Amino acid sequence: MNRRTRTFIVYFFASLLFVLLDLEVVAGEALPQPAQAAVPRKVVSLAPSVTETLFALGFGDRLVGVTTYCDYPVEAQRLPKIGGFMNPSLEVIVAKKPDVVIGVNTATDPAKAKEMERLGLRVTLISVASLNDILTGIKSIARLMGSPQTGEKLVVKIDANIQAIKKRVAAAPRRRVLLAVGIRPLVVVGGRNFIDELITLAGGENIAGNATQPWLNLPEEYVVAKAPQVIIEAGMGSERQQSGKRWADLKSVPAVTDGRVYSYPSDKILRPGPRVGDALTELAGLIHPECFTNPSNDRGNGESRCESPKP
Amino acid sequence: MIQVNGCLFLLLILSALGCSLLGPVPLDFVHAFENIFSPDPSAEILFRTRLPRVLLGVAIGGGMAACGVVLQALLRNPLACPQMLGVSGGASLGGILGLIFLPHWLLPIAGGLLGEISWVPLAAFLGALLSMVLIYRFSLFHGRLHPYHLLLSGVIFNSFIAAVIMFLNSIVDFYQAQGLLFWLMGSLSTRAYLTVGFIWAYIVFGFLWLWTKGVSLNLITLGEEAAMQLGVETGALQRQIFVASSLMIGAMVSVSGMIGFVGLMIPHVMRLIVGSDHRLLLPASFLAGGIFLCWADTLARILLAPAELPVGIITAFFGGPFFLFLLYREGTKKLAL
Amino acid sequence: MNPAIRTDSLTFTYKDNPVLDGVSLSIEKGEMVGILGPNGSGKTTLLKIFSAVLMGQGEVKLNGRNIETYGKRELSRLFAVVPQENQIHFPYTVAEIVLMGRASYHSPLALEGKRDLEVARASMELTDSLSFSDRYLHELSGGEKQRVIIARALAQEPEILLLDEPSAFLDLKHQVQVFELMRRLNREHSLTIVAALHDLNLAALFFPRLVMLRDGRVYRDGSPKEVLTEETIEEVYGIRVRVEPDPSGERPQLFICPSP
Repeated sequence: MNRRTRTFIVYFFASLLFVLLDLEVVAGEALPQPAQAAVPRKVVSLAPSVTETLFALGFGDRLVGVTTYCDYPVEAQRLPKIGGFMNPSLEVIVAKKPDVVIGVNTATDPAKAKEMERLGLRVTLISVASLNDILTGIKSIARLMGSPQTGEKLVVKIDANIQAIKKRVAAAPRRRVLLAVGIRPLVVVGGRNFIDELITLAGGENIAGNATQPWLNLPEEYVVAKAPQVIIEAGMGSERQQSGKRWADLKSVPAVTDGRVYSYPSDKILRPGPRVGDALTELAGLIHPECFTNPSNDRGNGESRCESPKP
Repeated sequence: MIQVNGCLFLLLILSALGCSLLGPVPLDFVHAFENIFSPDPSAEILFRTRLPRVLLGVAIGGGMAACGVVLQALLRNPLACPQMLGVSGGASLGGILGLIFLPHWLLPIAGGLLGEISWVPLAAFLGALLSMVLIYRFSLFHGRLHPYHLLLSGVIFNSFIAAVIMFLNSIVDFYQAQGLLFWLMGSLSTRAYLTVGFIWAYIVFGFLWLWTKGVSLNLITLGEEAAMQLGVETGALQRQIFVASSLMIGAMVSVSGMIGFVGLMIPHVMRLIVGSDHRLLLPASFLAGGIFLCWADTLARILLAPAELPVGIITAFFGGPFFLFLLYREGTKKLAL
Repeated sequence: MNPAIRTDSLTFTYKDNPVLDGVSLSIEKGEMVGILGPNGSGKTTLLKIFSAVLMGQGEVKLNGRNIETYGKRELSRLFAVVPQENQIHFPYTVAEIVLMGRASYHSPLALEGKRDLEVARASMELTDSLSFSDRYLHELSGGEKQRVIIARALAQEPEILLLDEPSAFLDLKHQVQVFELMRRLNREHSLTIVAALHDLNLAALFFPRLVMLRDGRVYRDGSPKEVLTEETIEEVYGIRVRVEPDPSGERPQLFICPSP
């Protein structure tokens, strides 16, 4: 055979060999998974909501690694960091030798999760797509940590909070709400989002609730067309005056003319964790303030059949 | 020349009208016009949320197309586009940094009388100016802006900026990440007529000035030496065009983020229709660019209602295949590529 | 009487290479001069300096004025250049190309006027390119392209015409045609013509004055009979030739003597 054919064959087999070796490495033996420990002693959290849940359940002392965004409760800020929300560092996590790694399925890259499993770690991802999922997730984490009854208790408490608020605003007329998390461009809470559920529970009607996306860029004509009665801006650090100015020229929007544009620090409500009850309370307070003011502030039209807030 | 431009101008007016009347929210436009000065939802939808966008789309589409024409001539490269200069990358980076560090600062205009504008587009424009100066310095050799060096500096600069933006992307939170997307894929959402006015002034002025250079642009495509021998002060022309288009691009990107494809595609499409004489090509591209972006934005608003797609996706998605179709139909006889 | 072009000790170095090393030339109005020399002798560079594309050390005067005092627009009305290569990346028709020669005659904001169109047409007729004025430049053959570029140069209505190896891509018929055209332009329109040439025989037949460059300097300057001698050719080009006068007896023709 001539030189060209020979060269071709050499290159072909060399590449084939290389590919096979590569596959071997990739599909290679996964390190053996640790035996299911009865109770995990060392936990890494991949999301702020998970961190909060663990602390709320009383397992904060078992955390050996959290993300840089985990800032609640205060103790979490002192814990060792394993990276960001979307891009945790595999090496650091592995170095901590955790018994379990808990993340959130919307944020953690599934490929990374697989990689962690291959490296011998036990990974659990909980869903936080809906309010129900969040509560179920809390219970799952509690079960995982070997203390299911703590989870049940916490969930019952949160649920009670939720039901109380629901009742509080039941008599009030539903108000159209716009909850924006970004101003330029306008990014709002859509449907299939636990925040959307919170808005509904708080006696509001999310004007973008019919969207299938949980977050969407909304063209401003919707703001005029749907005429929200309350606008909540959940961007960070926005000041009251500026938020008002941003919408000032849309005078046909009730929220603008009634001065019901509120800025709101994003922190609490945007975490699908144990503070959803508190988030709901605050949201309800913004949407239906008349239900939370002094009972003597009676409008006389049956709206404020509201008791004073319970602790 | 008059006929073609006249037609295009008419098309533009019709498009602008059409696009303001179209949208995801049904609009009773008679009602809107009747209530133009009162706080009526129809009027506000038309005049406060749609019309500024349409006007901005016309200006930016036209500006991008005009810059594309001019840069293709300056760089003597049919693949040149406004993005290539590196200035749009600098503007995006400036905007992103502004978004991260000072998103809520406002700058009062005329002591607050004319309203206020956010610092973010200003930061973007500063980014554009800075990159313009940097690229200029990198490309200046023996007092001349050689197309080769301009292209190279632009590409390198863009890669660097892209790396920085990716880095920022990995450290920002979820909400700032949305803002980043705006800068990278563009959006015409704006309500301030003040901003629209600024951009219009900028772009129309820039375009008119470039139009006066039509003959020189023709000559410079023949080659630098040929252009010199035919009477063009090439050194001065190159510098002037670079600065003018950089300023225009900087202004546009500051307001609307990077909207790609318009500057690359429209000049070629119009070249197939009206020829390569820049005295005709420039105004035709300017008008066609406005029409195109106007409709692209309308589609961006309607396609996935109520969500709004970044307009850069629409321009690429529809622009690409259309251009291929045109190319196929005309064959290669008119393109000399 | 100011000579059309005049240089004194012109030097030009390119990356430490002395391409031109002290060239002193004087070309009068209405002259027809051929610049000869092997590759690298500096022919193209010389033309580029004459047309203000490059700048060397030493004085270059056009019509008595230093070339640096001229603006580009003025220069383009004074002389026109037909370069050796034409790389045009954009689709222009022949008519558009030729009309570009009129650029410095009408204001940048105006379209071409009647006079511009007339001049363009006349130039195309002279170069026998009117028949394809509607076709795109890149569709034409090398020779046709060359004629279009010459038409563009003529449309500039120059006083001086600079050509860089104008016959390089032409077939024999068109080579002769181009040279005959140059001679006609020189005699009937008193155009000063300076051309860099590589075909010595054609140069001898058509050009009354030849300047031979060697290593960046003027080696010989005079009539074809004076310049094209067997010794000079061997000295400069390194080949042996036999020189015989042509049938009219006025112009020498070279016969190459290859080694057996």
